[in-house]
Amino acid sequence: MDDLAGVRILVFRLADLRYGIGISAVREILPTQQATRLPGASHEVAGLINVRGQLVPLVDGRRALGHAPSEGSGTIVLCEVGEQYVGLAVDEVIDLLTVAPEDLSDRGELPGVDPRLVRAVGLRGDDTFVLLDLDALLAPILSL
Amino acid sequence: MDLSQYAELFLAESREHLTTINQLLLEWERDPGASEPVAGIFRSMHTIKGMAATMGYGAVADLAHRAESLLDVLRRGKQAPPDEVVELLFRSADSLDQAIEASVAGREADLDLSDVLKSLDRASQTLGADVERPAVQRPSAPVVAVAAGAGRPVRVVLVTEAQLKGARALLILRRLEALGRVHAVEPPPSQMEGEEFGGQFALRIETAAADEDLEREIRAAGDVDRVEFAAQEEAARTEAGGRSKHIRVDLRRLDALMNLIGELLTARGRLTELSTASADADLEDIAVRVSGLAADLQAEIVSARMTPVWQVFDRFPRLVRDLARKLGKQIELRVEGKEIELDRAILDKIGEPLVHLLRNAADHGLESPDERVAAGKPAEGVIELSAMRERAAVAIRVRDDGRGMDRDQILAQAKELGLVDPAVDALSDELLMRVLGRSGISTASEVSEVSGRGVGIDAVADVVRALGGGIDVDSEPGRGTVFTLRLPTTLAIIRALITRVGDERYALPITHVAETLDLNTVAVTRVDGRDAMSLREEVVPLVHMREMLEIGGDAPPRSPVIVLQMGERRCGIVVDRLVSQQEIVVKTFSPPQGTLPIFSGATILGEGRPVLILDAGGLV
Repeated sequence: MDDLAGVRILVFRLADLRYGIGISAVREILPTQQATRLPGASHEVAGLINVRGQLVPLVDGRRALGHAPSEGSGTIVLCEVGEQYVGLAVDEVIDLLTVAPEDLSDRGELPGVDPRLVRAVGLRGDDTFVLLDLDALLAPILSL
Repeated sequence: MDLSQYAELFLAESREHLTTINQLLLEWERDPGASEPVAGIFRSMHTIKGMAATMGYGAVADLAHRAESLLDVLRRGKQAPPDEVVELLFRSADSLDQAIEASVAGREADLDLSDVLKSLDRASQTLGADVERPAVQRPSAPVVAVAAGAGRPVRVVLVTEAQLKGARALLILRRLEALGRVHAVEPPPSQMEGEEFGGQFALRIETAAADEDLEREIRAAGDVDRVEFAAQEEAARTEAGGRSKHIRVDLRRLDALMNLIGELLTARGRLTELSTASADADLEDIAVRVSGLAADLQAEIVSARMTPVWQVFDRFPRLVRDLARKLGKQIELRVEGKEIELDRAILDKIGEPLVHLLRNAADHGLESPDERVAAGKPAEGVIELSAMRERAAVAIRVRDDGRGMDRDQILAQAKELGLVDPAVDALSDELLMRVLGRSGISTASEVSEVSGRGVGIDAVADVVRALGGGIDVDSEPGRGTVFTLRLPTTLAIIRALITRVGDERYALPITHVAETLDLNTVAVTRVDGRDAMSLREEVVPLVHMREMLEIGGDAPPRSPVIVLQMGERRCGIVVDRLVSQQEIVVKTFSPPQGTLPIFSGATILGEGRPVLILDAGGLV
């Protein structure tokens, strides 16, 4: 249940940056799997994956947020956006946090991150993370 | 009591009754002297009222009640209804439809039915004044039992969870009374409303109608568990074990079953591979047995999903009638092949496209009565909607006998949009369909209220292709236009060729595969800047899949060419290799932005990887 006093956020890492998304859109954390390429789709789309018999597009988080592509392992965060499932490939999931609203500061200028995708900046211990606007990130890539 | 779980059932049943009401209204409109339609409309209206009251949908129940009052007046008046009254009843059916949808969605408060309610009351009063009230109310006294043994004994058992058992039972009696003399009803109808009525009753009926007809009539009342004909108890028993027991199943359940059977077939493939490799006779035996069972199970589930097209077609007579009125045209709608069956998921998706095509036919296809007479045609135009089996597919045609399409005008537009080579001076049917399938092309010379600029054919083509089917057009000036949709009868499981292109695999449904050739053995030429091959004196365009799929590199020597055929059109697909032929389960996905429009879905092969399914319609 969402704590009334705070916002629940899933924090994950992409390259050397930490990002967060609201837990309400997260359905599941899945081990990585090879995606089937979708010819013609933009380069942020890694392809199509099989989630227990359901076909789900997989978005490469690194490419979508302008990081150098990685090879090797990772984790898939299965999200639901606009009644559609979509996988977001991240390097690793770090934490599930409850953050008091006052601990989220208005988005500032962040080097290397498109300001339209940022909802706020939060603190986890001494580390900052970027709270993403998942809709703004995924809608232009998918056909929402 | 929580009734929410009944809401969907209520919705489904009410829709059926509304369809009946609309059909009977159309019948009545054609033959205002007939008395059967009004009785039938009254019954359906009464059933909706009862169900809505049980569900607590006050607005629906009230509207149905007032319509029923008007119908009662008309029924007793035994006179042909004035035109505006039939029109009012059509309007009431529409309002009822809206009220039902809104109530089930929990938006009852947004409804404003005051206009139609007022009109209904006014009509009841005006007409009611002319009708002599019967001195005594209909007697509801028990029917006097005639000597036992006269007529066929019938026993009806309602389902235990039925709501308003008494009302259902009375409804069944009324339906049977329309078919013959009913007597010896036990318990008597007067007791059916009571608490102690358990939902079982017996009667005798003298009728020429066959048992099946009686049973159908009884079951049409809803909530009927068993119908027994004592004289043919044995027959009744076999019947019950056979096909007669119908229940409603949620489409999502059927989809879940279909998904599971898909997984089972995938696992079956794996098991067969392993058992063959093991060379263990016992294991092979059981693998063969499992394989057979899985196939039987698949066939059962596929057939459980099959639904007759009338479930969609029956909406159209009303639609065409309203279009005719709005457009000031005379239109006869002929419907054929209503019993043809399609997978329910396919049927659910073709309703809207057919509406588009019917609108186009009525609006742009058919001429005005004056124009038609001037052209030496009957003033009344004909639209024919037909379904028929064609090998493994079902063809649905929408044919009109109107003016045909203006090819010159469409060609000019297509050139303007750069869809057609400027050198082309005439549109063949094939090219016409290809052009219509692009957005932005208008078949209408003027914008109209009914179907806008005649766009929509591209949307129709998209839906049909997504279902793995194809669409063709055939239009003759002055004679009319025919659109033919060819659809697979079942969507979920198809046979496909698995091909390899680069290091990727793609599935190609064999429905449209005409033959496969060796690229080395065909003569490749260039036609209009594209590769083509000549095949038995005909030029067939070639599509190199490596290029199409942005893989690059050259296909290996001795690549196979798969010849696809769709209607009259053909093309050759060059792949690297044919891997296998197998049954695949078609799954859909929402393609991300930019995905090439040549996939109709994907399937999951043995080891769990998705494999894209190439859409023959998008390639040919």
